[in-house]
Amino acid sequence: MTELIERYVHTVGLYLPQQERAEIEAELRSLIQDQLDDRYEGSSSQADVVVVLTALGDPRRMAVSYLSQEYLVGPSLYPFMMMILRHGWLIIPSIVVFLSIFGTLVSPTPSILLGWIVDTGIAAIEATLIYSGVVVLIFAIAQRSGIENNMKDMAFNPLSLPKIDDPGVVSRIEVIIGIVIDIVVSLIFLYFLRIGGLTLRFNLNDPGEVIPVPVGWLLLFILNTFIVLILHLWVLRRNRWSVTTWLIETMLEVFGALCLYFVVFLPLSAPLMAAVPALSSIPFTDRGAEILAVLSAVTTLVSRGSKWLKLWNYRHSGLSPVPIKTSA
Amino acid sequence: MTEANEQIIQLRLELRRGIVVLAVLSQMDTARYGYNLIQRLAEQGLDIEEGTLYPLLRRLEKQGLLISEWEVGEARPRKYYHISPAGREVLTMLRAAWLETVDVMRAILEGENDD
Repeated sequence: MTELIERYVHTVGLYLPQQERAEIEAELRSLIQDQLDDRYEGSSSQADVVVVLTALGDPRRMAVSYLSQEYLVGPSLYPFMMMILRHGWLIIPSIVVFLSIFGTLVSPTPSILLGWIVDTGIAAIEATLIYSGVVVLIFAIAQRSGIENNMKDMAFNPLSLPKIDDPGVVSRIEVIIGIVIDIVVSLIFLYFLRIGGLTLRFNLNDPGEVIPVPVGWLLLFILNTFIVLILHLWVLRRNRWSVTTWLIETMLEVFGALCLYFVVFLPLSAPLMAAVPALSSIPFTDRGAEILAVLSAVTTLVSRGSKWLKLWNYRHSGLSPVPIKTSA
Repeated sequence: MTEANEQIIQLRLELRRGIVVLAVLSQMDTARYGYNLIQRLAEQGLDIEEGTLYPLLRRLEKQGLLISEWEVGEARPRKYYHISPAGREVLTMLRAAWLETVDVMRAILEGENDD
């Protein structure tokens, strides 16, 4: 019973500014308890809590009524927009840097390191700003077109509130974005497989200058990406991360970093050093491919390890729900 | 629900929006917590949703019209609100404006078919 109240208060808190969160949460707890005491004289069941919380309404709406601000994108759409923006803020600059490196490699004239860094930085900032503007614009149009009102009209069921600190909860948006990335990466590398190496020109008849890569590792990387894609679909269907699925995904990510070493980092390192001679004066750049691969693998293990431990502890604390059976 | 009914509900909500502040301020000479205030207003015929009242109390506090304090001596902590000196001044002016509006509206509505 109390747990359901906490889930409601916690969900409201997610949409509140940090500096006001604790006080509003305390106030909400007290107000809910007042209502329960008054209506059920101190002996309320879970069904009674559901009645009170349903009357309070959707946590997002409750939170926004505390905020009382004019907004371009309302509280129903805002979390999804931020999720997509955050992913893009990581992915877009990485793509720009990757493309810039690639462009330097296939360019017949050598680049000056400082100029290349400045140009790439400006291009990354520009691309990120354009991406952010487009995403916000799309969500603002969605807001004005009444999508948020339709979401508001959806019935609110307190029992569907997410559990607090349940590490197994699947962020559907994150998984869907992961699936889209898996598909795009698979298609790009299938193209590289078809032409026998890396290139910037996506034209089967005229792929331009191609940097050759080992076909075996390229196949393994594509296979690895397919398995990750299937795993993401599986998790989306089960709507839950388990210790096993999280571990498998982590292992696949680490293996993916190893494959990237052979199909991207290593084939690009020599042409990059030739295209930007100034790089050779920087210590360890001759081992850049190895350093990148190890960094990718270690970062993956460290960033995902903490969640794996949480899942493990959660499972052994007895809080984990009974796994949902799905038909084969 | 028909479109006309929805329109009426919307218009009634708009009518009530302004008077809720006046109603709340008028009850705050005594320190009250949120649910107590809801009951108090309901007894007098004004039903306000919890999701409307609680944030409103907080807004009025931010505007300096209410003062709040946590009472920790009871079974569980409760936040009590009461009117501030600035709130009392605003209440006096709002009450006068409201009574004047009522008079004006009565005259308008009662004379609506005079022409």
